[in-house]
Amino acid sequence: MYKPSHRKSDFIERSILSALAFLKDATLSEEYANRRGFLQSLDPRIKTISFLAFLVTSISLKSAVLISALYGLCLILVIFSAIPVGYFLMRTLLFIPLFSLCIVLPTLFSAVTPGEPLWTFHLFGINAIITRQGLGGAVLFVVRIATSVSLVVLLSLTTRHSELLKVLRFLGVPQIFVLTVSMCYRYLYLFATMVENIFTAIKSRVGVVSQQQQGRQIVAWNIANTWNRTTQMSEEVYMAMLSRGYTGEPRLLSEFHAMPRDWAWLFCALIACAGLLYRGHTL
Amino acid sequence: MHIPDGYLSPETCVVFGAVMIPVWTVASRAVRKTLSVRQVPFLAVGAAFSFVIMMFNVPIPGGSTGHAVGGVLVAILLGPWAACIAVTVALVIQALLFGDGGITSIGANCFNMAFVLPFVGYYVYRLISSGSPVGSNRRIIAAGAGAYVGICIAALCAGIEFGVQPLLFHTANGQALYCPYGLNIAVPAMTGEHLLIFGWVEALVTALVLQFLQKQESLLVEGGIS
Repeated sequence: MYKPSHRKSDFIERSILSALAFLKDATLSEEYANRRGFLQSLDPRIKTISFLAFLVTSISLKSAVLISALYGLCLILVIFSAIPVGYFLMRTLLFIPLFSLCIVLPTLFSAVTPGEPLWTFHLFGINAIITRQGLGGAVLFVVRIATSVSLVVLLSLTTRHSELLKVLRFLGVPQIFVLTVSMCYRYLYLFATMVENIFTAIKSRVGVVSQQQQGRQIVAWNIANTWNRTTQMSEEVYMAMLSRGYTGEPRLLSEFHAMPRDWAWLFCALIACAGLLYRGHTL
Repeated sequence: MHIPDGYLSPETCVVFGAVMIPVWTVASRAVRKTLSVRQVPFLAVGAAFSFVIMMFNVPIPGGSTGHAVGGVLVAILLGPWAACIAVTVALVIQALLFGDGGITSIGANCFNMAFVLPFVGYYVYRLISSGSPVGSNRRIIAAGAGAYVGICIAALCAGIEFGVQPLLFHTANGQALYCPYGLNIAVPAMTGEHLLIFGWVEALVTALVLQFLQKQESLLVEGGIS
């Protein structure tokens, strides 16, 4: 089994890891989407609309407490949808919210955010002042981002990707665009596997490329080669489409059936959003 | 450069969504006019190509690695309107399926990376390479320059989008509601890293790829849909 070392300078391993991370994420998402859980049982259209409502509510609210309530609801849905909470927290909190926390730290201090002093201390001989406005803004920013990212990831984890892309058609996105997105998504797997194979082959032949210039030329050659394969593949795809009866007008199969419980969920979700927005308005 | 949900206010998201709707409409018409039925899968596979470019890690000075966005490269190979659609498709898939870049900020992300980046880069490329033969070195330099200028201008746009947030959206006591850094910090932070590091990565990758294509498959370099 392939065991990567963690040297940041090895562009070959980093490229293999990028391709593997994509394939792993896509495979895991499909696995969770096929589980028996609350969100998995909902109609993808209704579920997407309800999550868009949650998302718009989370970026519209101006209170960290109310956004936290939405985050709490998100975690409850994670539990009822048979998704491991540890995996979900790792996937949602470790990258964008942690990055956001790091970049927002300087805004705690009066030098960046002037305002009412909350806490004063000495740091490396400098008088550092944390302001109420700085702390409030930073908490609101990080909580909102954690909630937004969690909602999007939860939607993606509990809906089969092919269905999620098909929902775009029901949201009014033009058919040709949905067709392009769906076709593109199918070829991403092939391309990611191609990238992994290319760099595994390079690694098995040359090991580590120590010269940066040589490394850049290898990468450029392989991007060019991938483009070459892309053009050849599009011809084959077109032939395959023709053989299946494609006449130039794309048609998408619609297999969604909304049940009363789907509408009940949408009603509850919209009421929850309206309640949070109303509470936020009156605070 | 992918802006996640929560960095921009709903008003900003709506404005950029509204700006992008006519761009997507014109792009669809332009592509439909010039693209034959045979080339529809080409657009989809081209979008997949623009997605996987980001998986190719490039060694950069200092011992680390980075990756190119490839927006200008796709614009040179497909033409700017087709690149606009291809990059939009890639951004939609990233946002919707992998949580990379926000859903509410998809308009702003598409404005920066699917509109400003390919168009600025493509026209800089056209300006410098104007009248030169397909196999000339001027085209390689033009591709690098286009990629560099394109990504730096796109980063400037992202910096401005971040920077206006605390000016326009704050509470009565001055607490920022969205991205907390003003123009004086957000613009230098976004443009600085692209002017010094990522712009050069983008330029180098774009120029080298075009050089290889010139030698091996010169017909593909001329295949753009303008």
